[in-house]
Amino acid sequence: MNYRNQQLIPCFQRPPSRVVIRRASTYRQDLTALILESLRVYQLPVLGKSVLLKANLVGLDPLGVMNTHPAVIAATREAFLRLGASAVFVGDGPAMDRDTFAILESVKLKDFTGPVGGFFRDLNLDDVNRVPLPTRASRLKELYLPRTVLGVDFLVSVAKLKTHHWAGVTLSLKNMFGIVPGACYGWPKNVLHWAGIDNSILDINAAARPDFAIIDGIVGMEGNGPIQGWPKPAGVLILGDDPVAVDATACRVMGLRPEAVRYLAKAGTLLGNLQAARIEQVGEKIESVHTQFSVLEEFRHLAT
Amino acid sequence: MTDSGVHAVEELSMRQSFAPDSDLAFLQDFCVPFLVGAQNQDGGWGFQRSGESRVEPTCWSLLALRNAPGGVATDTFASGRQYLLAAQLRDGSWPASREETRGSWVTSLACSVLSVEEQCTAAVSAGLQWLCRDFPRDSSPFRLFVRRFFSSDSYSAHDDSLRGWGWTPRTSSWVEPTAFALLALRDAASACMPRDASARQQLAVELLYDRMCPGGGWNCGNPMVYGVPGEPLVLSTSWALLALRDYPSHEKKSAGLAWLRNSYPQITSPGSRAVAKIALQAYGAGVADNASSLSMLLDQCNHHQTVHVIAWTCLALNPQRAWFPPCKGAA
Repeated sequence: MNYRNQQLIPCFQRPPSRVVIRRASTYRQDLTALILESLRVYQLPVLGKSVLLKANLVGLDPLGVMNTHPAVIAATREAFLRLGASAVFVGDGPAMDRDTFAILESVKLKDFTGPVGGFFRDLNLDDVNRVPLPTRASRLKELYLPRTVLGVDFLVSVAKLKTHHWAGVTLSLKNMFGIVPGACYGWPKNVLHWAGIDNSILDINAAARPDFAIIDGIVGMEGNGPIQGWPKPAGVLILGDDPVAVDATACRVMGLRPEAVRYLAKAGTLLGNLQAARIEQVGEKIESVHTQFSVLEEFRHLAT
Repeated sequence: MTDSGVHAVEELSMRQSFAPDSDLAFLQDFCVPFLVGAQNQDGGWGFQRSGESRVEPTCWSLLALRNAPGGVATDTFASGRQYLLAAQLRDGSWPASREETRGSWVTSLACSVLSVEEQCTAAVSAGLQWLCRDFPRDSSPFRLFVRRFFSSDSYSAHDDSLRGWGWTPRTSSWVEPTAFALLALRDAASACMPRDASARQQLAVELLYDRMCPGGGWNCGNPMVYGVPGEPLVLSTSWALLALRDYPSHEKKSAGLAWLRNSYPQITSPGSRAVAKIALQAYGAGVADNASSLSMLLDQCNHHQTVHVIAWTCLALNPQRAWFPPCKGAA
């Protein structure tokens, strides 16, 4: 088993992070080139390594607004292959519908990647290993996590830019809820809700911290996300090797305060950089791509 | 995996378009060999062909093979049963995976499958006792009391006093685990039934009706979120309808059936298609497809030929099945 990035670093000891923001107005443009150019900023150690792209596939989505868009998934996969990765898997464990194949059909992933049989992993049904939780922020002491997630050399959260009716926003850290296997915890993974969503997000990411994060904000979702909100074109891709910094930057692009998102505030103490002063922006400036996302009344306090 | 299982898989993947002469041929030539070949040395089945044995795929495989036509070796059933009995926890429940020490919703499946085995009466009885002792936490008297003072109805609109079953103990009621628990109680011999089973069944049936989406059909159990109607899902709806099959007519049951019947032609995944077919046929609703359409779907999702999906397909294609046989009457 490969426990990557298990060490938790207090925020005051963590070096500054870099986050890349790229403009992308449509899914039809050459996203592979855009993502490849962004990945090269980081000189990622993926040559000859196995990579898992943890996409956000939450439900049947013929309009392509609630899930990570297949064009972004396909372009990211191609970009990592061009960087020399030995294998690039795509996986998720959808939370509400156990028929993952029906979701893949609805998003038409194979139209962008070709047949998905060889590289797609249904994380809900993967074999599992017991993983003690290093942070114990929630009441959970351990989780059973997919061997695919634990076994790859490099883990990438490929999330969607969305609001969330319980957590405020769902970005690269919240996306990691999907690695918790439904076959053990159900559809939805209700035990995480009872353990506290914010603390569960912290625990999961501390146990399996993504090595890299990519957020599909070409068309995001605002309002009653993550499923029943409204499409919100933001025209951006946000990328980086610090998922907390990537999420914090995404919040700022959405016109929301990351410090006010409870799980992000907690993640900023151990998992990555939250403060704007600790994040170097590469590519576009936040102000130039800022798009105000509407939130439910309960999260009005997040708005800047 | 045995040679016959490998052979069945290779044969299917080699054919661009698998078009068997009949449902029976597809069952015998592909589904049954696949399942028999996917059995692990320990007697159980994993979700994937070479995966670690788990209770859920083991239950579906045993159910499918038990209903399959002709000659499955008795050793297959004996070792499958032994796997399940060995996996049972001391408190009577079954865990979802090997290392887990807490029971889960798969307890219902194990009880259902073992109910027909005379030598498993004690195990089933213990499992059902565990099920009936497990009350979801969201509907505890304390929670209901607190909610009277602090909760608003803006999030959901369902009746929190109703109690079904959760995926894991001490969480919330959800449609599918509630349906599976109802099926387990339906299948059990009266000698195995806990004392409070009928009260739990009644509450659970009411919960299923309460959780139906506006307009018919079920999703995981959120018919309305922040005033927005939830979208029904095929699998949840199918399991709920099967669980309600033996209960009196109800307008919501009819609405769910109508939703499933209308949705059926658009189902593009073999798992959902197979379970929906079983549910519709159990109500006497005509289903206009055969092995070809299900096998073509299986072909398209070669990577998703998971054991439980093949088991569901096996059941769906067998008109002689004893488990929810096709009903001749009108829906």
